[in-house]
Amino acid sequence: MPNQPEANNWPRWFDPRSRSLGTFGFILNRVTALGLTLYLLMHLVALGQLAKGADAYDGFIALVKNPLFKLGELLVIAAGVIHGLNGIRIALNSFGIGVRRQRSTFIALMAVSVLVIAFFAYKMFSEG
Amino acid sequence: MTEQPWQVHFKIYRQRSGQKPYIQTLTLAVDPDEYILDAIERIWANHDRTLTYRHACHHSTCGACGMRVNGCEKLACITTIRSVTQNGGNLRIDPLRNFPVVSDLVVDMGDFFLRMNKSGFDSVALSEAACLPYEKPKILMDQAEQVTERLVDCIECGLCISACPAANTDKEYVGPAVLASIQFMYAQNPSQELIDQADHHSGLWRCHSAYECTQVCPSGVDPAWRIMDMRKKVLTDRIKSIFRPRSQEKKNA
Amino acid sequence: MSVTQPSAIIIGAGFTGCALAYDLAQRGFAVTVVERGELASGTSGRTHGLLHSGARYCVTDAEAAVECIQENIILRRIAKQCIEYNGGYFVALDDADLAYAPVFSQGAQACGIPVEEIGVKRALGTEPALNPNILAAYQVPDAAFDPLRLAMAFAASARRYGAKFNTYHDVVGFLRDGNGNICGISAVNRHSAQPVEFQADITVNATGAWAGKVAEIAGIPVPVRPTPGVMVAYEKRVTERVINRLCEPDDGDILLPQRRMAVIGTTSFEVEDADYIPVHPDQVKEMHKRAALLVPALVNIKMRGAYMSARPLIGGMMSGRSLSRTFKCYDHRTIDGVDGLVTVTGGKATTCRVMAEKTADLVCQKLGWQRVCETAQHPLADYHLYYQSTEVAA
Repeated sequence: MPNQPEANNWPRWFDPRSRSLGTFGFILNRVTALGLTLYLLMHLVALGQLAKGADAYDGFIALVKNPLFKLGELLVIAAGVIHGLNGIRIALNSFGIGVRRQRSTFIALMAVSVLVIAFFAYKMFSEG
Repeated sequence: MTEQPWQVHFKIYRQRSGQKPYIQTLTLAVDPDEYILDAIERIWANHDRTLTYRHACHHSTCGACGMRVNGCEKLACITTIRSVTQNGGNLRIDPLRNFPVVSDLVVDMGDFFLRMNKSGFDSVALSEAACLPYEKPKILMDQAEQVTERLVDCIECGLCISACPAANTDKEYVGPAVLASIQFMYAQNPSQELIDQADHHSGLWRCHSAYECTQVCPSGVDPAWRIMDMRKKVLTDRIKSIFRPRSQEKKNA
Repeated sequence: MSVTQPSAIIIGAGFTGCALAYDLAQRGFAVTVVERGELASGTSGRTHGLLHSGARYCVTDAEAAVECIQENIILRRIAKQCIEYNGGYFVALDDADLAYAPVFSQGAQACGIPVEEIGVKRALGTEPALNPNILAAYQVPDAAFDPLRLAMAFAASARRYGAKFNTYHDVVGFLRDGNGNICGISAVNRHSAQPVEFQADITVNATGAWAGKVAEIAGIPVPVRPTPGVMVAYEKRVTERVINRLCEPDDGDILLPQRRMAVIGTTSFEVEDADYIPVHPDQVKEMHKRAALLVPALVNIKMRGAYMSARPLIGGMMSGRSLSRTFKCYDHRTIDGVDGLVTVTGGKATTCRVMAEKTADLVCQKLGWQRVCETAQHPLADYHLYYQSTEVAA
């Protein structure tokens, strides 16, 4: 008989207890991917406002100037950076490059992500 | 024993075949340097003869005593109590995940072993082939020039399959140990049949790079490295085949 | 006796039980194996893992030594899949060892063990980790094997001939026919806690160190003394060959490689009950000291594990059918007047196949079944295939 995982145990994907750094990379990639997918849907809805005419669109743009939306935008940038950089690590690994250094690569790339995110946060919130 | 015995609260997963599982609690005085398997054997011998568990060699060469200790996959025979809990602490023991539980801590390794068999896994190889390619120079320097053979690293304990998040949701997933075996056998004797066993959506490409297999492997197999190495081989072949003229492809076929 | 297919129950799935299951199944028996735990979960699994060349016994116990070398050659042929064969060295560390050398060399030759004196320089050249102060070195055909996989290979071969393995079954009683002879056993399936009965023409007690306890259930005495010894495993494979100290069998005189490890053993003391034997820290320390004599670098290498294994030593005087000094096979009809039960115990992992052969010979003779042993002639089935017909108990 094949491996027999219990039914519906995908929530375990997000359970980092007694797991190692590799799982954190795995979880981050899944969470950011879900976030980006959600954003893509919202983005399409927002673009849909264009069809309702210029006024509707301008009103919508005014709404997203609100700091809460800005925070949301920052999260999108964060997800994009984390997912992108981690994706590069995984793609390189799949070509057999840097597999034994996957831990340090992960830490380094996440450090870079933090810097990039901090830079964008500063830019977005300081310029009002 | 150089220090006082520890009091440790064992919480053991119990399940009669086909019945509902429950957690058995038992407090035991233990030597902190005692191996968990010895403690389990003592529980069976002195406290509860109904407890079932797998074990054989007691020194990490057979791979029978894989279980989850406080959530993490371990070989119970080489894991000391000190390394996983403290005096007065808890020690939770569960069967491996992603295998059918037969009873208590006993899981059915049947399908896994048959998959290993299908990959042609050899338990003995030349010493040079048995080690990981990236550690070859070190090992060869350690020993004088000679042709020797040895039992290979993979002890088929199943810890990697239990720790793998992909095996957790895809029951058709070939699994880290078997993919590592395919890489290992392919390195010695390449064949299209081995590629076919690995190159499909429940094979090499199901791996999601969590690297848990390598993290929990008690035997130095490094399944994640082997999976990536096999991916490299398959990808290289594919890229090459794009540039290969058609006539040549036929010749090779 | 039986014209139809004879049947046998084997209690114990250690090396002897598995090899006997293969032997009897191959001779046409309907074989049922009943084992309390997992395959090889008693003494067999916890063996040192040394496939003896026989040289260890060539002076003190020539009969055992001859058996060892014969079985060594056979197992290397039929069980290649779980044996790493790099040979072994006997090394002399002091003058007493050196004085033993000629006796050893003659003894080995007399037993038919190919032994060759190699120079100290060559020994150190091929095994650089050896103690550089060794005084002499002899090469013998020792090997290391994987305990569980050897048992599984025999069991897989037995399965190929239809043998059924019931692991996790505790024997609780013997079934008797009208004449008080044994015609089967009653057991408890430990997975489900359900009682179960097995019937057969003959029952073989192949429980090694537990043979006395199992026979006691039938009210029959078998004088077996569980005699444990400690083994210590280290994190590094320091040699490629088995390293023996050139002396009479002693504590901590054998160091062998296994996968990435080195394993040293062993000690010897007697216990009443082999179910749980604690690992004695003082014995581990002693092993550590002995190991460092053979390979000094081990002092700084981390210990990976330590374990106890209970040899089945035959004690007391009993008019059993002695097959050799190394193992014994009792027909309880001739000793105790109870038919239908045979006990096999003693012996060593290296000689498990011949123990099975002699026991199967006795069983065949008892039942008038005329088939000869062929287990030495064919390679064993792949050990993975032990699982071919495993079913999850529902």
